Amino acid sequence: MIELRHVSKSYNKGKVKAVDDLDLVIQPGEIFGFLGPNGAGKTTTIKLIVGLLKPDSGAVTINGLDNQKEALRCKAMTTYVPDYPAVYERLTGLEYLNFIGDVYGVAKKDRIERIEKWLEIFDLSQAVSSPIQSYSHGMRQKIVLMAALLPAPRVMVWDEPMVGLDPRASFHLKEIMREHCDQGKTLFFSTHIMEVAEKLCDRIGIINKGKLIACGSMDELKKLNHEQQESLENIFLELTEK
Amino acid sequence: MKKLRSVIRVGLKSNFGLAVLRHRIFKEKKDRWLVPLIGVAFLGLAPTLYGYLALMKTFYRGLLPLGQQHLILTFGILAGQIFVLIFGLYYVMSAFYFSKDLDILIPLPLNPFQVMFSKFAVILVNEYLTIAFFVLPVLVYYGILSKAGLPYWLDALVIYLMLPVIPLAIVSLLVIGMMRAVNLSRKKDALIIVGSLVLIMLGMGLQYVSRRTVSASPDPQAMLRFLTNPDGLVQRFGSAFPPSIWASKALAGGFSARGFTNLFLFIGVSLLIFCGILVISEKLFYRGLIGIGEVSGKKKAISKEGISRKLSSGRRPIGAIFAREWRIMTRTPIFLLNGVLVVVIVPMIFVIMAETGSGRGDNAFLLRIMTSAKPIYVILAAACFLTFCSCLNGTSSSTFSREGGQFWMSKVIPVTPKEQVIAKFLHSYFIALLGIVVASGVAIFVIHLKAVVFAGAFLISLTAAVALTVVGMIIDLARPLLDWTNPQKAIKQNLNVLLSMLADIGILTVLGFFSIFLIKRGIGGGGLFAALLGILILLSYASFHFLLKFANKRYVEIEV
Repeated sequence: MIELRHVSKSYNKGKVKAVDDLDLVIQPGEIFGFLGPNGAGKTTTIKLIVGLLKPDSGAVTINGLDNQKEALRCKAMTTYVPDYPAVYERLTGLEYLNFIGDVYGVAKKDRIERIEKWLEIFDLSQAVSSPIQSYSHGMRQKIVLMAALLPAPRVMVWDEPMVGLDPRASFHLKEIMREHCDQGKTLFFSTHIMEVAEKLCDRIGIINKGKLIACGSMDELKKLNHEQQESLENIFLELTEK
Repeated sequence: MKKLRSVIRVGLKSNFGLAVLRHRIFKEKKDRWLVPLIGVAFLGLAPTLYGYLALMKTFYRGLLPLGQQHLILTFGILAGQIFVLIFGLYYVMSAFYFSKDLDILIPLPLNPFQVMFSKFAVILVNEYLTIAFFVLPVLVYYGILSKAGLPYWLDALVIYLMLPVIPLAIVSLLVIGMMRAVNLSRKKDALIIVGSLVLIMLGMGLQYVSRRTVSASPDPQAMLRFLTNPDGLVQRFGSAFPPSIWASKALAGGFSARGFTNLFLFIGVSLLIFCGILVISEKLFYRGLIGIGEVSGKKKAISKEGISRKLSSGRRPIGAIFAREWRIMTRTPIFLLNGVLVVVIVPMIFVIMAETGSGRGDNAFLLRIMTSAKPIYVILAAACFLTFCSCLNGTSSSTFSREGGQFWMSKVIPVTPKEQVIAKFLHSYFIALLGIVVASGVAIFVIHLKAVVFAGAFLISLTAAVALTVVGMIIDLARPLLDWTNPQKAIKQNLNVLLSMLADIGILTVLGFFSIFLIKRGIGGGGLFAALLGILILLSYASFHFLLKFANKRYVEIEV
């Protein structure tokens, strides 16, 4: 479970409010899609959840633990995928996964089993022994996703995980996301692909100028909309145009 | 011309980041503390500068009766040019081939020579800053001592500006040629490292040969010629790199015919060789550059057994982070050259200096002094040498900066800052140890230190290296440079590396003064040794303890 209580974060000594008094709870087993225009505060919110940024006020808790006070315990149950797959280019894919396995304390048997499975799913078997430097953008994204899945985390916080993936990999990823959340895990992810959010998410949040302007299931969002728009794209456009 | 001007301007702006620094200091008010700190660091250098100037004055007075006082200029200019020749390699290679902005510049409608020109300008400005430490004092102090007039100062300005051009152009030519060849191969990184080493060795070899020629004892008649001919000594010492002779003669000659001839010769050759480089770059630069960043993978599926073999059975986090640091350092050519190989090369330079600069006879003399002096002095001198060789690399003072855009991983992994810092310390200390071991080889086989003396020096340097490594890490942790696009910036152009070296020199100087103080108080050799070792252990303990506490605070504060 992820809980944000009155979380605010600003830049430039308070001049730019990136996240403004955000209140949000994501339940276990839930896939939560986070939408918003560029610069709305999506990445800042995600970074606040995983502890890359410290909130100016408010608190973020992961399964009941404050992510600032109990940072290590929170990190041990959370994995993060950044908006750009900046990983150690000089390591091979396998060395990188092994590093993640070591720092998250994944047992060797589980490591082998999971890595083998995802190498096949993401079609990375041929590249995994090569330096990440030689990977395309999509391949890097796949290795970052594999690293995020390897510890079998209870909470996953992903920033635009589909970017750069080919259609097959996207399809498999969506299945994996659903599968994980059906096991009671929590997934919070941002996306610009409305179709993915509409079909995959249990609930959707829309952020604009640092404020959460809408939150709920697809049906709830439709009810919020005065013009009774059918598609998420239209709802999004209407809510964020002001 | 307009395009060239604009690409040079953008290159200089993005490399020296004055706008960013201004923003950080005046707008964000983040790096304000740096201003007084740098001031203090430079004040710390004052004793060294004072010694340097005093030495120059002695030389000047000694050479004045022979009318050869401008030999000092030759030494200064020669030192600057040789420095650029040997160390310019790093700058040239990373600016020409490894800066990320090349990906933006190559597709633009610019000629290869224009791109190279802009990169050359960046390196040139870098070199002005680097050689300022030892060339400017010579030029300025000579002018003051000789009560030089306006012609000297104008010449000095022109010569200072042109000084790095010839050596840098030579290095550029070698690097462009080398990278053209490297780009044909698949093992590019390995070839870059090997090629760079060959070039450095070549530079040092040339130095070795030329210095041997200079230091070989001439017959008395030739010696007389050197002393009586007004430029005899300048010719003799400057022969290692003839442009330094022209520059010295131009400066000494002022606005005379002789001065002008040499000035034009110096400027003319500099411009000619630079234009030559531009012409060559038009043909070869892009051929070596395009595709250099490409890495071809093995493209062979790994078997299940292969995966099982390659996955460790669960290293502890400290081991995993140490392995990561080691792999990234040794697989990134710029990091490897500036971090690991520097500790091997610096002692080698001492070997060459010992073998050639003073000649074999002088080596025996050095040995006599070493054995006749009180053992404690020899221990201190040797310890200083070992420590100097081990810590004058940028490994510890760039340990956080080197993570760059990947620092987010260090923030999200479930490993305490304490464990991460311990792993980083072990890695940096390991490289410092490598420096101590290589320098020990030099101390044992070249200077022939006695075992007991060596053991004492070794013990002190091992302890000093702990403290200095930690100090470097603290400085880097205080202001890590994470937003680099060119790995060179993380280690070679990182202010933290310079600050840390100044801090190291400061600490060693304070310890030196402390030793002198104790000696004057009549403390014996054993007492001094124990006192120094005790202080170093205390300093190491206290600084390490502080580093761990500081890491807990900084890992939260650093936002990425």
